[in-house]
Amino acid sequence: MPTDRLSATFSALADPTRRAILARLVLGETSVSELAEPFDMSLPAVSKHLKVLEHAGLISRSREAQWRPCRIEPEALIGVDSWLEDYRRLWNERFDRLEDYLKKLQAKGKKRGRKK
Amino acid sequence: MDEPTIVVTRLVDAPRELVWQAWTEPRHIAQWWGPNGFTNTIHAMEVKPGGVWRFIMHGPDGTDWPNKIVYREVVRPERLVYDHSGEGANDPHRFHVTVTFTDKNGMTEIVMASLFPSLAARDAVLKFGALEGGGQTLDRLADYLPTI
Repeated sequence: MPTDRLSATFSALADPTRRAILARLVLGETSVSELAEPFDMSLPAVSKHLKVLEHAGLISRSREAQWRPCRIEPEALIGVDSWLEDYRRLWNERFDRLEDYLKKLQAKGKKRGRKK
Repeated sequence: MDEPTIVVTRLVDAPRELVWQAWTEPRHIAQWWGPNGFTNTIHAMEVKPGGVWRFIMHGPDGTDWPNKIVYREVVRPERLVYDHSGEGANDPHRFHVTVTFTDKNGMTEIVMASLFPSLAARDAVLKFGALEGGGQTLDRLADYLPTI
C-alpha cells in the first residue's frame, strides 16, 4: 500500500465517530440514514465522515441501488496491519545490531583493561 | 497502560550505563540504528528535555530519509521519552515513544513502547481483525495482543 494511502487510512481511523461507523458496518451494509441514527448527527455531517472513509479505502458505496448502501472494505485494514508488522520487524533487527555493537564495545573495553 | 501501544523488548548482555551511552551518544548510535543496509548521518543530538536529534537515514538505493526526534523526558540511565517523526510537522507517522532500561543482574532489559500515530488505528485493526475471524490478519495480531 502506498504511504499516502496509509496516511489517509490512519487519519480516517483517528476519529471516534468514523470508528463507530466502521464498527456498525462490520455487521453488514446499511444506508446513510440508518448510520446517522445513533449519532445524533445531520445527514450531511455523516456524509462528510463517509467521504473520508471512502477516500481512505475503508468503505465503498454501491451505485447500483438508489439508497447507495455503504459497506466496509477490510483490505485497507490489512494494510495497516502489515505496516505494524514491518515496524516490529524493524525494531527487532535494530535490537540485533545493538546487541552486536554492545558486544564489540565490551570486548574493546576488556582489551584496554588488560593493557593497563 | 490504557493507551494502545506496540511494545518491543530485548534483554541485552551489557550493563545499563553502557546501553544508555549506546542510545544517547551520536558516535555510538550511528553504529547500530540502521535499518539493515542503511547508514546514518547525525546532524544534531541533544539528549535533554526539549532537545532534538536530527539525522538522515541513507537507504541502500540512495534515498535519504530525514528524521527528527524530540526528547520529552530524559532520566539517565533508565528512561527516555521522545516523539519521532519525519520532517513535516504533521507527519501522520509520528510516534510517541517510551524506552526504559532496567538492570537485570548486570544485564539490561530494554522495553520500547510506541504509541501509534493514530492511537485508534491499532484498536481498529484488533477489533476488525478479530471479527473477521481466523484470517491471516488475526494470526499476526496474536503477536501483538500479549504486549498490550
